[in-house]
Amino acid sequence: MTVASARETKVLTGNGAAAYAAMLCRPDVVAAYPITPQSEVIEQLAKFHADGVLDCEYVTVEGENSAQNVACAATMAGGRAYTATSSYGLVYMYDAMFNTAGYRAPVVMINVNREPPGIHAVCSGQQDMISVRDSGWVQLIVESCQEIMDTTIMAFRLAEDYDIQLPVIVNYDGYYLSFLAESVEIPFQQEVDDYLAVLKDQPPRPVLRPGVPLGCGSHGMGMGYVELRKKHMAAMERVKPKLEEIDEEFERAFGRSYSGQVEEYRTGDADIVLVTSGSAVGTARTVVDAKREEGVKVGLVKIRLFRPFPVQRLSEALKGKKAIGVLDRSIAFGWDCGPLYQETRGLTPEIGIVPMLSFIDGLANMDITEEHIGWMIDDINEAAQGRPYQQVRWLP
Amino acid sequence: MAEQRKRQPKVCDYYQNEDQFSPGVAFCSGCALELNLRFVSRVLGKDIIFVGTPSCSAPVLHGQNVEAWHRHPYYACTMTGVGSSASGLTRYYQKAGIEATVVCHTGDGCSQDVGFQALSGAAERNEKMIYITYDNEGYMNTGIQRSSATPFGASTSTTPTGQVGRGKNTGSKNMPLVMAMHDIPYVATASLSHLEDYAKKLAKAKEKAKEGFAYLHVFCPCVVGWKIPTDSSIQVCRDAVRTNYFPLWEMEGGDFRMTQKVPNPKAVEELTKTVGKFKHLKAEELTVLQEQVDMRLRHLQALCAATAAETDA
Repeated sequence: MTVASARETKVLTGNGAAAYAAMLCRPDVVAAYPITPQSEVIEQLAKFHADGVLDCEYVTVEGENSAQNVACAATMAGGRAYTATSSYGLVYMYDAMFNTAGYRAPVVMINVNREPPGIHAVCSGQQDMISVRDSGWVQLIVESCQEIMDTTIMAFRLAEDYDIQLPVIVNYDGYYLSFLAESVEIPFQQEVDDYLAVLKDQPPRPVLRPGVPLGCGSHGMGMGYVELRKKHMAAMERVKPKLEEIDEEFERAFGRSYSGQVEEYRTGDADIVLVTSGSAVGTARTVVDAKREEGVKVGLVKIRLFRPFPVQRLSEALKGKKAIGVLDRSIAFGWDCGPLYQETRGLTPEIGIVPMLSFIDGLANMDITEEHIGWMIDDINEAAQGRPYQQVRWLP
Repeated sequence: MAEQRKRQPKVCDYYQNEDQFSPGVAFCSGCALELNLRFVSRVLGKDIIFVGTPSCSAPVLHGQNVEAWHRHPYYACTMTGVGSSASGLTRYYQKAGIEATVVCHTGDGCSQDVGFQALSGAAERNEKMIYITYDNEGYMNTGIQRSSATPFGASTSTTPTGQVGRGKNTGSKNMPLVMAMHDIPYVATASLSHLEDYAKKLAKAKEKAKEGFAYLHVFCPCVVGWKIPTDSSIQVCRDAVRTNYFPLWEMEGGDFRMTQKVPNPKAVEELTKTVGKFKHLKAEELTVLQEQVDMRLRHLQALCAATAAETDA
């Protein structure tokens, strides 16, 4: 077993990149329970631990609910904690996730997107992350194996920041990214240590220690509850500028940037824009280039920060466009549209009334192909010309 | 003070510190749980970290907003997350080289029902902690509903008596034995009527928790839920021991041992006739309960004999 002692490029799966990143961030406690398609992450971490290159308490729990509670308590005791899950596991953590968020416990969690229970699809889909959107966690979603590596490192920097102190989920598409092998640059351990060193210079956060009479988890009654909720909301708002700042720091340290909350691609002079997230972004970029060749002035917005929702940056990117399409790999029950679409529609006061189209594609490992995205762009273009359009379209 | 010391010299010897709980806390009048909490705190010392959940003990352990009723470090968690949260705490302390005794303190509903998975998992991993179940045989805080600790025949708000209903129609889960089957370093039962025995077990649990998991199951009547007078909970505890309804034993490193011999056990009816939740039981139903008590005692005696442990009581 060799481990990166110097910056090197390796062919890693998305899961492998997630595990390497976690190891480089030196967690004190890792809580692990297997689930497809996440298992490789915790197997890899177990191997690092067995080989003595990951010096942590590796807690092999008996379920995801316990994984979340172990991680939460370990951070409240003063440690750095990491866990990873997916789908059924994520929803099995639901009560514990509220606990973690309510305690402002800076846990970092990987969620490998997979369809949740009910229709038993062992398949990719983002419905799992949508189901926990109001649990008070910060949620990031990424596009590539390198971005999994880099965003996991940024997630620790963000979660433990004194101004934030919130748990963070890094989401990536199961199958499309979890098992996709790409070349990934692994940073030096020293570089990651240096990048995260700023966290040690902050004012200390309160931690639970023997002999120190400090309660963790008091009854929040009346205004006590309201105060903590308001503070949580304020911290969520601070995540937006902080992520931009952290992204810039990351670029200075590692030479890669992901434009913070959202990434705009050829939107500047675009008439129409497609908004999406996750692994579909790569395909969409290719199709946007092809459509540009054909003379269609189309741009692309990639959502990286899902919670808090990047209201300001997304509004800026979409303002003045003639029509907007939003591609979701999940659905918003009761709204007959995709969740990202639903949220983007909430920006109407900022961007004005223009045709807005919802595309639902890629459920249960159905490939979001170049052809599909071509159809979507054609639809948006038609709507921009003032022609009738279908508000919600399921593909294929 | 000197006179008080003379009356209970052995129990007082186990006290590590003054009472860490404030007077006038929000427990019911005559609550055995209050005595249990104060006792555990005094015997285990003020440095212990309590882990608890929404329950009867929550109003006192959790505190409200920035107000607290005790001076212990305290971690509140969901009922599903006690064994796991305590694991998170102890594992971090081990990693950081911090010496700590983490003490989970929950009711039977949490440990035997909704939090059982996390408890069983923590025991199987042999996490270094003490887990204390205060067994009041049901969900008392939410209005006296049945749990898996509710005994056969007991009337609760979800097993009420009526034209057809005769109380709970199944027996309780034999939780301390279930925990012993996890092969953890230490398991014991305790009763608030036998404080000296209880104190010894707490002290032993604290030592054992340095190696691994220690589990204590404490008999803890609820005056409201059991419909007993507010001055009777300790007598009910004593009757439970004397009828073998709640035998006192310990398991240490696989060896079982009775810690309180009951030479001439009374019939279980001696206990049930003083407890309102059993008042409706007919003779044949009492026989079912008695048979369960006898069966459990035989199992326990067989385990004691099999491990050839000596009885010191």
